[in-house]
Amino acid sequence: MVPSLARRARLRWDDARGTHVLLYPEGVLVLNPEAAEVLALVDGARSFEALVDALCEAHPEVPRETLDGDARELLEALAARGFVTTSAP
Amino acid sequence: MIPPPLALLAELTYRCPLRCAYCSNPTDWRRYGDELDTDAWVRVVHEAADLGVLHLHLSGGEPLLRDDVEPIARAGRDAGLYVNVITSAWGVDRARIDALAAAGVDHVQVSLQHTDGARGDAIAGVEAHAHKLAVARMVREAGMELSINVVLHRGNLACVGDVIALAHDLGAQRIELANTQYHGSAFPHREALLPSRAQLDEALATARTWKARLAGRLDVIYVVPDWFADAPKPCTGGWGRQFLTVIPDGTVLPCAGAHDLPGMVFDNVRAKPLATIWRRGQDFERFRGTAWMGDPCASCEHRERDWGGCRCQAFALTGDPAVTDPACAKSPHHARIVAEREVAREAPPTLYRLDTTRRRSAR
Repeated sequence: MVPSLARRARLRWDDARGTHVLLYPEGVLVLNPEAAEVLALVDGARSFEALVDALCEAHPEVPRETLDGDARELLEALAARGFVTTSAP
Repeated sequence: MIPPPLALLAELTYRCPLRCAYCSNPTDWRRYGDELDTDAWVRVVHEAADLGVLHLHLSGGEPLLRDDVEPIARAGRDAGLYVNVITSAWGVDRARIDALAAAGVDHVQVSLQHTDGARGDAIAGVEAHAHKLAVARMVREAGMELSINVVLHRGNLACVGDVIALAHDLGAQRIELANTQYHGSAFPHREALLPSRAQLDEALATARTWKARLAGRLDVIYVVPDWFADAPKPCTGGWGRQFLTVIPDGTVLPCAGAHDLPGMVFDNVRAKPLATIWRRGQDFERFRGTAWMGDPCASCEHRERDWGGCRCQAFALTGDPAVTDPACAKSPHHARIVAEREVAREAPPTLYRLDTTRRRSAR
C-alpha cells in the first residue's frame, strides 16, 4: 500500500501559529507534531511499510506496533475525509 | 495578542453581469468603483500571508471580469495560500480556466441558480445556466477542485435534491447550499425570497438524505437560514477572529456586509498595513470579543460560541448594530424575525422574474 496526499489537500508549515496545517477547500486541519511527522513521509512513492520503517528509525524507543497502529489510524481517518488516497505498490 | 486571521476574502470588483435578487453585495456598490490595481492586490496578498492568512478567496461581484486574477492568484499560491476563486462562470472560456490552473488556483466555486435552465436564467437575470455547467466541467478537466454554490430561496428550494445530484455528476467534491442572508439587495427583496417553513423542512430533509447517500464522495454543506432558527450563528466565526474582507476600493472590513453599519471608521489598505488594521483597526476592535456586549449576550453562557450573532442583521432589523442578533430567541427584538416569517407564509409561492433596474435602486 502506497499512500499519497490527495490533490485537494496541501500540507504546509504555518509560521504564524507555529504548527503544521493541512489546507483543503474551505478548511484548515491543524496537525499535531506526530501527525505532521507521518504526513511528511507521505509522498506517493514510499510504501506504508517503508513509512513505518522511517518512524521506527526516528523513534527507536517506541515499539513498532505502536507506530504502525498510530500511522494506520491517522491515514485511515484522513482517507475517510478524502485527504489521503492509497494505491497498491 | 490577537490571533491571526485564517482567511482573506478579496472582493476584486463589485461589477457583475448577473442580477440575482439575493445578492449580498451593497446596493450602492458604485460608491466602491475605484478598484485597487494589480500591484496593490498583490501587496495585500503578501501582507495577508505574513499576517497568518491561509486561505485566499478571490471573489466579487464577478472577479473574472478583471483580467489580472491570474497574477493575484499566483502571488497567493507562491506565498503558500490555498487559492479559491468564486465565480458565476460568466464569460469564462477554456483558455481562462487553463490560465487560472496555471496560476496556481486550487479550487473554483461555480454558482448555480437552479437545475432548470430557464428558471436558473430567470433568477440570474441573464442567460447563463448552460454555460455554467460547461465551465464546471472545464474546472475538473483542468485539475482544479470544484465546488457548486447555490443560494437558496423560495424560487429554488424545491430543486435541492436535483442540484446535489447535478453537482456530483459535474465532478464537484463539494456543494454549498446556503439559504439567503438578508443583506445587501436581498433585504429589500425579502418578500419575494423568503420561503415557507414547509419548503425549508422539505429541503433540509432532502439535503440530509443526499448527504448520507453521497458521504465520502460529495461534501454536502447545508447552511440553515437563521431567520428560521432560534439561535444566532457565530457570524464570520466571531467579529475580527478568523476572517477579513478587502472590498474593491481597498476598504478593509471584519465582514463582507459591514459597510452598511453606522459609525464604521473605514480603514483602507492604501493608507495602512493590513496587520495594523487587523490588530488595532477601530472597526475590528469595535465588536471583537465580548466586552462590547450588553444583555442578554453579556450574561449568556453561549457568548463565546455565537459571539452575539450577526452585527449587520442586528442593525438591519433594529437600527442598532450593538444589540443581540434578533435571530436569537433571547433577543427582545426576536418578534421582528417571527413577523418576517409570517410574511413568507402568506405570500404566494411564485417564480419571480427580476426587474433588473429594481435591484440597484431598491433600498
